[in-house]
Amino acid sequence: MTNPAISPDDSGGIELNQPIDRHWRDYFRFSTDHKVIGVQYILTTFIFFLIGGLMAMLVRAELITPELNLVDRPLYNALFTLHGTVMIFLWIIPFNAGLSNYLVPLMIGARDMAFPLLNAISFWLIPPAGILLIASFLLPNGPAQAGWWSYPPVSLQNPSGQLVWIISLILLGISSIMGAVNFVTTIVWLRAPGMTFFRLPIFVWSVLSAQLLQLINLPSLTGALILLTFDLAFGTNIFNPTQQGDPVLYQHLFWFYSHPAVYIMALPAFGIFAEVLPAFARNPLFGYRSLAIASLGIAAVSIFVWVHHMFASATPDWMRITFAITSMLVAVPTGVKALGWTATIWRGKLHLDTPMLFAMAGAAMFILGGITGVMLAANSFDLHVNNTYFVVGHFHYIVFNTITMAIFAAIYFWFPKITGRMYAEGWGKLHFWLTFIGANLTFFPMHPLGLQGMVRRVASYPPEYQGWNVIASLGAFLLGVSTLPFIANMVGSVLAGSRAVDNPWQATGLEWTTSSPPPRENFIEIPQVIFPPYNYGNPKAYGEASATQSGEDVSNE
Amino acid sequence: MLKFLEYFLLTILIAGAMLISHWMGQQAYTWMPPQATAEAQRVDTLFSFLVSVGMFIFLGLVGMMLYSALFFRAKPDDYSEGHPSRGSVKLEILWTAAPTLLVLWIAFQNTNIYSQLNILGLKQIVQLPLEAPAHAASVESPNAASDTPKPADERIQVIATQWKWTFRYPNQAVSHELHLPVNERTRLDLQAEAVIHGFYVPAFRLKQDMIPKRDIDLVVTPNRIGKYRLQDSQYSGTYFALMEADVYVESREAYNQWLVAIAQQPIDEINSVIAEQLHPPKTLFKARWSSKAVEAVAKSTEVQEGDS
Amino acid sequence: MSSSPQPKPIHVDESPIDLERLRQKFPPWLRRFLPSGGGSHEDHHGKGMFGVVVFLLSESIIFLSFFFTYIVLRLTASEWLPPGITGPERSTFVILNTIILLSSSVVIQLAERSLSRHHLVKFRWLWLMTILMGSYFLIGQGIEWSQLDFGLRTGLIGATFYILTGFHGLHVLSGVILQVIILGRSFIRGNYNSGHFGVSATTLFWHFVDGIWVILFSLLYIW
Ligand code: HEA
Ligand code: HEA
Ligand code: CUA
Ligand SMILES: [Cu+2]
Repeated sequence: MTNPAISPDDSGGIELNQPIDRHWRDYFRFSTDHKVIGVQYILTTFIFFLIGGLMAMLVRAELITPELNLVDRPLYNALFTLHGTVMIFLWIIPFNAGLSNYLVPLMIGARDMAFPLLNAISFWLIPPAGILLIASFLLPNGPAQAGWWSYPPVSLQNPSGQLVWIISLILLGISSIMGAVNFVTTIVWLRAPGMTFFRLPIFVWSVLSAQLLQLINLPSLTGALILLTFDLAFGTNIFNPTQQGDPVLYQHLFWFYSHPAVYIMALPAFGIFAEVLPAFARNPLFGYRSLAIASLGIAAVSIFVWVHHMFASATPDWMRITFAITSMLVAVPTGVKALGWTATIWRGKLHLDTPMLFAMAGAAMFILGGITGVMLAANSFDLHVNNTYFVVGHFHYIVFNTITMAIFAAIYFWFPKITGRMYAEGWGKLHFWLTFIGANLTFFPMHPLGLQGMVRRVASYPPEYQGWNVIASLGAFLLGVSTLPFIANMVGSVLAGSRAVDNPWQATGLEWTTSSPPPRENFIEIPQVIFPPYNYGNPKAYGEASATQSGEDVSNE
Repeated sequence: MLKFLEYFLLTILIAGAMLISHWMGQQAYTWMPPQATAEAQRVDTLFSFLVSVGMFIFLGLVGMMLYSALFFRAKPDDYSEGHPSRGSVKLEILWTAAPTLLVLWIAFQNTNIYSQLNILGLKQIVQLPLEAPAHAASVESPNAASDTPKPADERIQVIATQWKWTFRYPNQAVSHELHLPVNERTRLDLQAEAVIHGFYVPAFRLKQDMIPKRDIDLVVTPNRIGKYRLQDSQYSGTYFALMEADVYVESREAYNQWLVAIAQQPIDEINSVIAEQLHPPKTLFKARWSSKAVEAVAKSTEVQEGDS
Repeated sequence: MSSSPQPKPIHVDESPIDLERLRQKFPPWLRRFLPSGGGSHEDHHGKGMFGVVVFLLSESIIFLSFFFTYIVLRLTASEWLPPGITGPERSTFVILNTIILLSSSVVIQLAERSLSRHHLVKFRWLWLMTILMGSYFLIGQGIEWSQLDFGLRTGLIGATFYILTGFHGLHVLSGVILQVIILGRSFIRGNYNSGHFGVSATTLFWHFVDGIWVILFSLLYIW
């Protein structure tokens, strides 16, 4: 490790803000400190990632052969249903909430979130909701088995498991709404002096856009779930087609939320790329303002695309065509982002440390996932691949190969800030390569399978599809192995890593101007912001000339 | 001079990327199942186009990222800046406009192809009171005038239940195989019993969800004789995976002969769901959870067992 | 971009939008809900009210999804009213109930104004009156429910009617409970020394609940 910024046992430069040494137990107690809550979110959701991943490995193990041999059909159906639910609602969405919790107040120069108590309640709803969901495996007829969409009328045929699923999701929804109110208020009200909107880091812009989507769209899912509950438990027939109900109505309500949900998951990942790429390319973020506006643009357009999940459903032609066009239009603001990242790296001075590897690989694989997305948005083509593995391939390239990669980038990037320790670079690189290879092995073969017509949600399949399936399953096991060096690295570094300095990456952003880990109130003195973000090339911006960005030293302007 | 060389190289690179993309687009045809309808050809053309455009974008962006990763490396302790550029209005406008045009082009191609598919007779879903003032009676009748059926020569009822396919032919013969005359427009009358199912024949490139109590039709024109597979495409509960049926596209004569034969002597049903319930496959983990639909099938199995 | 690295660039910021100036242009009642630039950590009232507004906007989407369901089902169902059922009737009883609920919005607004002017006693009386009006509405709703000729399971009309009015009633109930708590706390000495955010928030919530009822009433009783 020749990185000059990481000098073991260097306590220089930490005069102003003393890092507070937290006991590990503090993270298991009720706390209203956004940093503790952030870590609590991160740890909890990572456990759910392992659980969801375990279910995915069981799914993949069953799919090695065309016949049934590991699990029976109800169990298989429960596995993919809970895998999808856990990964979306207990891994990516709450992880993003946790990371944002930790970072947003630091990045905007605030002492905490706007409503700290509400913040703690948001978090504490998650463990019970998650445990409830997993525990539904113990019900006599098993957990929900209707897929993560839970389309009626199929979802009405297994009331007990479905009801637990609904309760869990409503709890998670309440948590998300409270979190969203908190984030939006924090970002709008608690910015430090001088932190104008166009000085916010792109990560904050992404969080703002994503949380606005939560506020606007999530209630539609809650509404649908309430109605479904009445159908399930109180004998109404709102979604029951044989009694004049309308199951397609549920589909609209569901996707009105669940399409924007994919951008709720993706936007923070885009934000992570925008923080990590400039720091390791030593370039200012290219086209800052267009990237900021693109975040809002993606959010705005994505409210009006939901029918692209229903191209084969009972939707009239005009609806299919209209929503095909709106869906494709998302590619424009997203393209602005992708091109901005590429231009940022271009002619940089790249340092390929672990966070950078994850971020670059994630951005590259996002191009693939995005392009298959635009293909799916072409409804004439989607008629062929809808509900096949092509769709599964498309979205795993984003949810795993992009977002989960971005999450790993974020964990490595902010690890020194959060823990005050450095992780082991070699182990990080090993983790990266295993993940990168495993991810492509697992999810690439799904595209040819889908094109050939293999439908999703099947435990057994015609034998001609076996070849690609074997590769995908082996890849999934490799992904399982890849988590081991990561966990070892994290645990080992927290316990015995070398001390990290305040700003090991020489990155810009207010979070790097305070100590690692930051004190309870984040900053000794609320900083006065005088620089635009991503001020690479101006050493003062990352604290080389002065310890903080305090307002006194403006002589260079 | 140097500038010129740069532009020259750039031109070559773009031309190369276009060539590769075009080649990929041609390859794309081979990734698909056989084409058994005219629609399949159109969908494959669209797919080939999408692959070419997608490949070009992919090569361009990922190429730049890879190039950066390989050639723009900093020395380990060099933390100075790369370049000072914070953006360029011209470039940013360009890369907003270019994808917009590309997307509009894709949207145009897609709409164009979709209008050629001409497959669907979906009854108008919302009957606004304003629209049907005088013909209130027609709402009740099954052949409401609001839905202009696409002209078709043959009409087959497709009935999906949990979990089997049943087909009723014009001569009222019933079978669990779908037989279609080649090169004729056949109107499939899609009916689902209790839950949503999906009609999907990969070789036809067509798919339509079947909603109980909803009149949905699909018009297909198979143009290639052969045996294909119909697969339920909308998850419909425990035995969803077993909801397959064989599809035979055959000449008019063969089709007529088969119709006569099947009307006289229905084939015995070999239902894979019942078979699996009678002889459950050996699996390592057995949950044996059941749902209302599974119970219903199990009951009918018992009845059948008693019969035979 | 030429390759002369000599003068180290210092990037200076140019932020085009001065939000604080924009904010000053708004009337005071609206300004309360708008952010006051960076660093306004101490403005608890504004921050809190902003949060409440954001939350209520979000909450209204649940109602919107229910309205949407109601409208779609009513338009598409071939038999909206099962034989022998007449549906909810726009009786004088219901209209009276509606008038009471809607006028309670005026009363609660007057109550908040009295508090702003430090007329604590007047505030309590007006506040109590709001509670009574809200409770009257709830009881009236209950009576109406018990007199209807259809139940929750009577076709789509029953399901949608009871879910919509029930969900709204739940909001009225929450409002009344909040009001009772606030009335109780108004007797604590020094309760309003640091502002009356709770009172303002509850008042806003009450207006929201009334606004929803206007839409509900139009959908259920007028259409
Ligand atoms: C979180 C992740 C995420 C993200 C970001 C996206 C992004 C996109 N998705 Fe995806 N999608 C999912 C997660 C995601 N999706 C999931 C989970 C499902 C399935 C759910 C289920 O069925 O269970 C799904 C399913 C899905 C479908 C339904 C398929 C079906 O069921 O039949 C469609 C159809 O239109 C679609 C489209 C798109 C589009 C157009 C984008 C666009 O946003 C992509 C835009 C990005 C790019 C295009 C790349 C960068 C742009 C450029 C370099 C500019 C130039 C490019 C062009 C001009 C093309 N997605
Ligand atoms: C949102 C995020 C997300 C993520 C990250 C993933 C990650 C993975 N998914 Fe995905 N998946 C979905 C969301 C996600 N998935 C959704 C929404 C569906 C649709 C569901 C539906 O149809 O309803 C789906 C469906 C789906 C299917 C299709 C099932 C079917 O239709 O029949 C498959 C099949 O291969 C699959 C595989 C995988 C694999 C191999 C991973 C891997 O990346 C996972 C890697 C992680 C691990 C391998 C963890 C390893 C853990 C250990 C080694 C330790 C375990 C120990 C303990 C728990 C103590 N997923
Ligand atoms: Cu049978 Cu879906
Ligand atoms: Cu979508």
